[in-house]
Amino acid sequence: MFKKVLIANRGEIAVRVIRTLRELDVKSVAVYSEADRSSLHVRLADEAVCIGPAMARESYLSIPAIISAALITGADAIHPGYGFLSENADFSAACRDNGITFIGPSPKSIQQLGHKAEARKMAVKAGIPVTPGTKDCVYKDAAAQAAKIGFPIMIKAAAGGGGKGIRIVREASQLANEMNMAQSESKAAFGNGDVYFEKYIELPRHIEVQFARDSHGHVIAFPERDCSIQRRHQKLVEESPSPAVNKKLRESLEEAAVKLAEAANYVGVGTVEFLLTQSGEFYFMEVNTRLQVEHPVTEFITGFDLVREQLLAASGEKLSYTAGHTVPYRGHAIEHRINAEDFTRNFAPSVGRIEEWIVPGGPGVRIDTHVYAGYNLPVYYDSMLAKLIVWDQTREMAVARAKRALEDFKVTGVKTTVDAHKLIVESEAFKAGKTDTGFMERLLAPAEPVAAK
Amino acid sequence: MDVKTLTKMTKWMETTDLQEITWRSGDDKIGLKFNNNPEHSAAIASSMEPVLSPSIGIFRFARPGKTNHLKEGSSVKNGAELGVVEVGKDFKSVTAPSNGLLKIISIEDGKPVEYGQPLFFIEPK
Repeated sequence: MFKKVLIANRGEIAVRVIRTLRELDVKSVAVYSEADRSSLHVRLADEAVCIGPAMARESYLSIPAIISAALITGADAIHPGYGFLSENADFSAACRDNGITFIGPSPKSIQQLGHKAEARKMAVKAGIPVTPGTKDCVYKDAAAQAAKIGFPIMIKAAAGGGGKGIRIVREASQLANEMNMAQSESKAAFGNGDVYFEKYIELPRHIEVQFARDSHGHVIAFPERDCSIQRRHQKLVEESPSPAVNKKLRESLEEAAVKLAEAANYVGVGTVEFLLTQSGEFYFMEVNTRLQVEHPVTEFITGFDLVREQLLAASGEKLSYTAGHTVPYRGHAIEHRINAEDFTRNFAPSVGRIEEWIVPGGPGVRIDTHVYAGYNLPVYYDSMLAKLIVWDQTREMAVARAKRALEDFKVTGVKTTVDAHKLIVESEAFKAGKTDTGFMERLLAPAEPVAAK
Repeated sequence: MDVKTLTKMTKWMETTDLQEITWRSGDDKIGLKFNNNPEHSAAIASSMEPVLSPSIGIFRFARPGKTNHLKEGSSVKNGAELGVVEVGKDFKSVTAPSNGLLKIISIEDGKPVEYGQPLFFIEPK
């Protein structure tokens, strides 16, 4: 196991990683930008270094600054968290070149699986169903290629993630314009303008399978997570298991994830995302070669610590469970992402000082956060304040617990999305488990007059 | 009690030397207190200007193969290179922000520095 790990991230995920490091008796190094001097991860880590100004490009996204921080502090490994440099093959390679272990897959795996078009090819080879679309990136003959798939189509950034760089095109006349926008958006966000096309499936469910694999070839696929509740491709609520997946489908999904992890000779934790159609077919979408925001729902129902599994895999040890490809689970877990946004004003970002911060607790409740009363919210980074994760024996009970926990959540000083989540858990569709990627739009739309049908 | 009354009371308080008042009537209670937050008035006056590290990295008084003889008390010109911070293969220049006297050197050659760490203090001329 490592002696000292630097966390190349901020916010709740940095705090999350520090907690596991402490349990494993591994020293932690926090890095922070000037704007994050008073963030919780800086206080909790054994050491902390300022790596740059507020702008992420010069701090959390600066490979030289982070490598330099690791060398100066004598860290033998770097945990990249999610976002920032977590899926950057150059960063993984820079760690390796400086004798530091990157806690994540090899540069090659990141390139293969993180590049969406490459990942698709690999999925096809492994016999996993994929959505109809272009096999390679589209550079020319866009109109012909789009027509072959049939509208509506999605233009997706090859290096994309987090809902960025996705555009839906419903007719051929919009294609050229949307293509331009997708390419420049992708170039700006990921430094790579490559895009590809995919058939757009109306109102699918977003299902994903967490997997972990060590260098000895042990691989585990965890029960699926359902992340259908999204707004503008950003996930709001995630749950596990999915109310739409039965035992047989679960086995097929888990088998697909295992196959892909093996085909890529992957070491670490990752997630395969699928689209599940209303009629129950699933299609491979993409692979995330990192820990995900919603990993706690898996931890809650299986009892695993996925950060620990990451550390075990990265340090060349065996996963904590090596007796098979699947693991038992118990009950149901739901995660609510609480953001600093005013949901009554179209989720406009809200900034300021957190005056009051009272978080729920009690049985089956977990809060992952970097926020505390008196914390000044920096404007430079994402708006997530906390993740509220609840567990109970059945989905129905978990929903009731989520409702109770949301009522206990008291924040003043900034606007939060707590009320939006209350609306979600009180909706009949959610209670019935009838969710798809159009759920939020319908929930927030003003009620349609009956006559308008 | 409405806002008008509160405004009136606040105005009145300003004409007195009261810092705080509390008014009670049955279950109703209103307290007014002047906000004399001293937090930001405790500035330390100094004529010296800090020179901050432009990056995390290793500090060097000179680029490889060069020398730089800086001493406390020597005079420096605006824009003069006082040293470099080595970060990866890059050297980030540390320059004097103004003409002046180099009063304090708070860094040693080859030491790690954080972003924003004060390396020198200059008294502008």
